[in-house]
Amino acid sequence: MRAVTRREFLRASGAGLASAALLGVVGCGGQQGGTGGGPIRIGALYPVSGVLALLGEESFRGADIARRQRNNNGGIAGSEIEYVRADVPEPNVARSEAERLVSQERLQLLIGTYSSTLALTASEVAARRGVNYFELGAISDEFTDRGYDTVYRTNPPAREFAASQVRFIEEWLASQLGKKPSEFRLAIAHEDSDYGTSVAQDIRNEADPVGLNIVSVEPYDAEASDLTPVVLRVKKSNPDTVIAVSYAQDAILLSRQAQQQDLGAPIFGTGGGHSLQTFIDTVGEAGDGVFNVDFTQYEVNKQFTPGLQEFVDSYKQAYDSDPKSGHSLANFFGANIVFDILEEAKGSLESDRVGKAVNAYTVKQGTTATGWGVDFDENGQNTSAQPFVMQWRDGNLVTVYPEEAAVMEPKLVGSSG
Amino acid sequence: MIELIAQVIVAGILLGGVFALIASGLNIIFGVVRIINFAHGELVMLGMYATFFLHSIWGIDPYLSILAVAPALFLVGVIVQRLVIQPILDASAISKIFATVGLSLVLMNFALILFGGDFRSVRTSYSDSTIGIGPINVNIPRLIAFVVALVLFAGLYSLLRYTFIGKAFQAVAEDRSTAQLMGIRVERLYLLAFGLGAALAGVAGALLMPFATVYPTVGISYTLIAFVVVVLGGLGNMTGTLLGGLIIGLTDSFSATFLSPSLSTATYFVLFVVVLLVRPSGLFGKGKGTEEVGLR
Repeated sequence: MRAVTRREFLRASGAGLASAALLGVVGCGGQQGGTGGGPIRIGALYPVSGVLALLGEESFRGADIARRQRNNNGGIAGSEIEYVRADVPEPNVARSEAERLVSQERLQLLIGTYSSTLALTASEVAARRGVNYFELGAISDEFTDRGYDTVYRTNPPAREFAASQVRFIEEWLASQLGKKPSEFRLAIAHEDSDYGTSVAQDIRNEADPVGLNIVSVEPYDAEASDLTPVVLRVKKSNPDTVIAVSYAQDAILLSRQAQQQDLGAPIFGTGGGHSLQTFIDTVGEAGDGVFNVDFTQYEVNKQFTPGLQEFVDSYKQAYDSDPKSGHSLANFFGANIVFDILEEAKGSLESDRVGKAVNAYTVKQGTTATGWGVDFDENGQNTSAQPFVMQWRDGNLVTVYPEEAAVMEPKLVGSSG
Repeated sequence: MIELIAQVIVAGILLGGVFALIASGLNIIFGVVRIINFAHGELVMLGMYATFFLHSIWGIDPYLSILAVAPALFLVGVIVQRLVIQPILDASAISKIFATVGLSLVLMNFALILFGGDFRSVRTSYSDSTIGIGPINVNIPRLIAFVVALVLFAGLYSLLRYTFIGKAFQAVAEDRSTAQLMGIRVERLYLLAFGLGAALAGVAGALLMPFATVYPTVGISYTLIAFVVVVLGGLGNMTGTLLGGLIIGLTDSFSATFLSPSLSTATYFVLFVVVLLVRPSGLFGKGKGTEEVGLR
């Protein structure tokens, strides 16, 4: 056989990669929508294969429960709600699927996606076509900072996570550790993709005005097999608390190796891996007392989150398990907001009318299943949604701050004090 | 400072042992069958899942489960070689690349469908135990993985050097057609090689479980590391793989601690490229000609 030329090799590799990406699109196309002007058809873009599958699927479930519930209660303006699903495991697939839903399926409203990179790409398509896009779960600030007309987000952005953390430190944690905010030493260990990097930047922005001292910032690869260097570097900076922005495997690894290397300072997670049950199951005692900030989870003051228990029951009935994370709840909340807005717009999906309905629509905090309120600003961001602070206690993730949402008082736990 | 350096060295060596372990199977497959096995990380992933389920359903200790996981993965390797690789041994290079990339995708999604996207870990009584050697903290499961890696490498080295099979492997790696002309049953040998390579990947998976997490796409990073280690050390050379792993592990550890954790991967890739520029067949490769990788 003759030797392969470089051109052939490159072409083949390119073709190989392209087909791999295509498999994602072709293998799982969305379902066809209904016929006629009847049902209200909404595009639902979520990653249910690939690396993001776990929480992408979880997110979709929340949105789907909302749809079924609403349909049982008469739908929107008398019409049934139908989702046209698209699996979007990667950004270029998100773009092509959004294009397909808008041009071929002729949808005028899209929801999704859980992941910031996917959200950014899919919403670009929507914005360009003047089609409505509601993000229900991704948190990167940039998403709404772009200020696109028809793009909205129901969940809090990353900077609200950072704001909650800093507020908690200022109002409770610093004094517990015997420090004034100006004396407080804060280390940040974050995974180095867009998620971790942008949240880390937000934390710095929120911490500076309050006077907290950022003594080290350590970006790391979420898939690293060993985080000992991160732990050693953080330890060297002698922090009072380490804020971690991690996915699942690194959250686990960080806590374990922090314990093995005697880190000594409490860890404060920022959603992501730190909210998963698998975190505490694997890490055990080393995870007890770890703080976290995230979307509303399930151990929360139910008076502040009416509808939460019903949601959990519906989830259990539909999927035969407990919700895996707060993402389903956040998407449930978001989908309901979308439906309410469409109801305000009398079932019209036309972007001007939807836009007007969005501006007119407000909800007080403490009256929804997540406890979040609704108040969209000029960039389409819901400014009334606030992530709560939680703590892992005896294997459960309990809400500890703010008081109205808390089920337990926060407490410094032995090994981390 | 000395303590920090010592800790970093220890962490680097243990990490390198893990890398070498993961790469050992690929060394056999790549070195003998000359197939760029893009699915190697997925074989490790299967080993990890097998270990996880044996532990969570029957409470079998991960180290004990090697007795079941290794033969199971051996079988998987033989099947893959027979059904996926053998038919295309004489096909174009493109087909071979596509085949294992395809296999990788299939295994990843197969795992996703069967096991879900959740992150699974094994917690044993010794998972987080550390042994203190002076001021240095050494995690026990990682130490065990390292020690077993050494034993395995010693065994593989002896296999290659002192047994007939080992010599046949080397012969086939050097020149397949001539080996065939000399009476070596190449196809049978390939089955054995792939099976062995897969079994080693399974053992690596089992040894990883006490301290690593498994999820369907975990194999991607393992495949990459395995390739770097194997090529750095020299294809088909067992000592090379072990030393390559240690070098990568130490580089990772030092650059992460003294430069930045997010630069560690970049650093060892730079090192990798530099070594290849100077010695294309790897640090301990057999020299010109043996770096060809079955793309012919």
